[in-house]
Amino acid sequence: MFMITPKRKTVLLHVFVFIHTLFLSGCWDRTEVNDLAIITAAGLDVTDDHQLELSVSIFVTNPSGGQKVGGMSSGDSGGAGLSIVRSAKGLTLADATSKLQQVLPRKVFWGQDEVFIFGERLARQGIAEPMEYLTRHPAPRERGNVFVSKGLAKDVLQLRPPIERSVAEVLREMAKSQTGLNITIKELAQMMAGKAHAAVIPWVEIRQTPDDSFPFINGSAIIQNGKMVGRLNNYTTRGVMWLRNEIRNATVTVSPKDAKGYVSLYLLRSHTELVPHIAGKKWSITVKIETQDDIIENTTDLDLMKPENIQYLDTVLKTDIDNRVVAALAEAQKKMNVDIFNFADAFYRKYPKEWKQAKDRWHEIYPKVEVRLETNPKVTRPGLTGKSLFKRDQR
Amino acid sequence: MDDWKKNMKKMLRSNRRKSANVELPSKSPLTHPMLSGDLNENLRLLQEIFADCSDVIFHEFLIGGQTKAVLVYIDGLTNMDELDQHVLAPLLQDFAQADSLSNIRKKIAVSSLKLVETIADVIEEISGGNPVLLMDQENQGLSIGLSKWEKRSIEEPQAESVLRGPREGFIETLQTNTSLLRRKIKNPNLKIRSMSIGTYSRTKVAIAYIKGIAAPALVEEITQRLQRIEIDGVLESAYIEELIEDNPFSPFPQLLTTERPDVASAYLLEGHVVVFVDGTPSVLIAPVTFFSLLQSPADYYERYFVGTAIRWLRYLFLAVSLLGPSVYVAVVSYHQEMIPTTLLLTMAKSRELVPFPALVEAILMETVFEALREAGARLPKQIGSAVSIVGALVIGQAAIAAGIASAPMVMVVSITGIASFMAPRFTVGIAVRLLRFPMMFLAGFLGFLGLILGIIVVLNHLLTLRSFGVPYMTPLAPLKGRDTKDVLWRAPRWALNTRPHLSGEWNQYRQAPGQQPSPPNRDEEGSS
Repeated sequence: MFMITPKRKTVLLHVFVFIHTLFLSGCWDRTEVNDLAIITAAGLDVTDDHQLELSVSIFVTNPSGGQKVGGMSSGDSGGAGLSIVRSAKGLTLADATSKLQQVLPRKVFWGQDEVFIFGERLARQGIAEPMEYLTRHPAPRERGNVFVSKGLAKDVLQLRPPIERSVAEVLREMAKSQTGLNITIKELAQMMAGKAHAAVIPWVEIRQTPDDSFPFINGSAIIQNGKMVGRLNNYTTRGVMWLRNEIRNATVTVSPKDAKGYVSLYLLRSHTELVPHIAGKKWSITVKIETQDDIIENTTDLDLMKPENIQYLDTVLKTDIDNRVVAALAEAQKKMNVDIFNFADAFYRKYPKEWKQAKDRWHEIYPKVEVRLETNPKVTRPGLTGKSLFKRDQR
Repeated sequence: MDDWKKNMKKMLRSNRRKSANVELPSKSPLTHPMLSGDLNENLRLLQEIFADCSDVIFHEFLIGGQTKAVLVYIDGLTNMDELDQHVLAPLLQDFAQADSLSNIRKKIAVSSLKLVETIADVIEEISGGNPVLLMDQENQGLSIGLSKWEKRSIEEPQAESVLRGPREGFIETLQTNTSLLRRKIKNPNLKIRSMSIGTYSRTKVAIAYIKGIAAPALVEEITQRLQRIEIDGVLESAYIEELIEDNPFSPFPQLLTTERPDVASAYLLEGHVVVFVDGTPSVLIAPVTFFSLLQSPADYYERYFVGTAIRWLRYLFLAVSLLGPSVYVAVVSYHQEMIPTTLLLTMAKSRELVPFPALVEAILMETVFEALREAGARLPKQIGSAVSIVGALVIGQAAIAAGIASAPMVMVVSITGIASFMAPRFTVGIAVRLLRFPMMFLAGFLGFLGLILGIIVVLNHLLTLRSFGVPYMTPLAPLKGRDTKDVLWRAPRWALNTRPHLSGEWNQYRQAPGQQPSPPNRDEEGSS
């Protein structure tokens, strides 16, 4: 027998009220997937009238929006041509975004944007302003990759690379493979806000072939105080990566002096450590590079089964790495005077007091910082075959 | 322990608040309690009581050709052959002169004989199938234990099948069921109290427990709760379950039902109490915890690695069956950034032609699924499979093709459906299945925030729930470290040394410690 007691009455009342608050909430702020304009890549350029132009690559989800009216099958094969590029101009990035919304029937959705490209011209004028929006607004991903493109960023977005689904996918995968730099919004913000106020961003160029054109990473752009001040080529960028402890994936080919041919080594692991010293007025830094490598190709007449030859290769490898590092230092430290290796933070951590006094003069100190290299490469294995199977006269 | 006793007291207090004034049929036989010495008087009374009962037979005859006697029995509930052979024939022939009832009792070749003195007892015996012999000049009757009726043979329970383990199951007859139990636990400490519940049905209910293992207070509490029941009839143990559970407003079962004697025995050996109800193969086990409802006898019959893995699979899929569609709805409606890009693009594509919000889509598909399940369960087996084929294949595909549901939604619904069948007890599965719907609404209106709110409410409810004073989430909340060996994993047999601690006094050890098999010690062997 169910009796309505006062206690039950209150419980029922609460349930009643609770259920109705759900429906009364008014603005049901749900946004379905198919109400979203899913941005997969964004490009930022500056126009001639000094406005910011935001271009976004949007994934077209509507199966009939593409070329063919697909049948019932839900997971219909994608292929190229499924992204479109839309642009809008504005005074700031937020302004450009709201203008972009005006030309899109669906809600701009930053949540899946994993690639941000700054055009070269914008980069030279300054990326601090758009970065402000990208770090302050909750929607854009901090883990999205950043690039600087030669020419307009919009041109990169408009490419139709055949292998991946979109240009965003291409750039992201290239950055991820760690053959070039891999810089995210978060890391860029950290670098720009760090003690050195310097940053490196991978540099994207478009390569034309008779059949198609595709973007690829070729070196890096150097940013100081929010503005691009120069760029490094691929070789120097590798040196920067060694110094920044970002080398994960490398095949180094060396040519030993007294042996004809080349030895290629595949990097297994590597670790770089910056050890700063201050002795009086002399600031110096010791770069300790530990690396292990496997030999994957040997066209020389060196017999890899002999330990002395392996040891010899160690020194050859050391020279090669040192050369790259020195080249990077020569560019960035001596020529451009930009602390992209973040020596500043290393000094700050170890000598906070000295740093405090010297921080205003850092741009004077930095070029004079003496860099000592302690590279210690180790060739661990000669590969699957020992003595070459095809060269008889190995020594 | 004190906590538990306090609980008991609370329950007893509420016991006093009985709902009075329930009109029950008058117990008229009790106004004429004793049998009189006059057979005609007794007969008149009984015939009045059993008026219009064509299946009650009054067989009048003369013992030894002199004394008037009557055999009263119900047609079809009595073993007629044995009655004729061992009772009627000797009474008619062998007894030359009138004999007293107590003398006759000594000479009848039936093992179960009982003297009855009140009309009420006579009615009880007759209704139970035992013929009653009434004689002239005797103020007692003789109940002859020759009841026999058609019953189902012992079969494997359909709902609780195992790959390895006993195949027998309880049947509808109480005596058979208790005997199945007695065959497994051959110890006089297995006590079986019995009582009758139901003014009309007079259903036999038996409370089985093992003295020395089960807490006496628990047995008393269950007995009291059963005695409190005033109902016209008990047709299934569910009637009793709903009248004795702790929280009648909970979707979760607070008593476990099983049809397996091995399960019942296992629980008895852990200090639980088993309630048998005549007329149903489902017996009730109390108290239970949430985790015991998620255990299957197979956990103990398989190797313990397998048992542990399957147990965790079950926990995982219980969560899936509660949260599957609501997580999907929340992610698709609010948190699109959480989906891996590639998957989101595919999902966006398949959602493109669906006109409804994800919430409506989910509610629609889940409702259809529940309907299909129910339709399949109630139909005869041959048609049931047709329903499931139509449901699973045709409707699933057609819903996508017609643009009513998206492919990921159908997948989520299917996985959730399968997940809900993972629960070894149907009652838990259906409770979780029902809770899924409010969860979907919360997720649809408030996203993950709502989902978390819902989880908190459900968890809170589970934590406050008690089954006969035992907290439902024992041994995790309150944490009983030692008992988690049979919850977080299924410890090997040789490590299950202690019984789970349910309540009160506690017969701690169930086996000798250190029984882990190991190779013999060579040194010792050599020296001996």
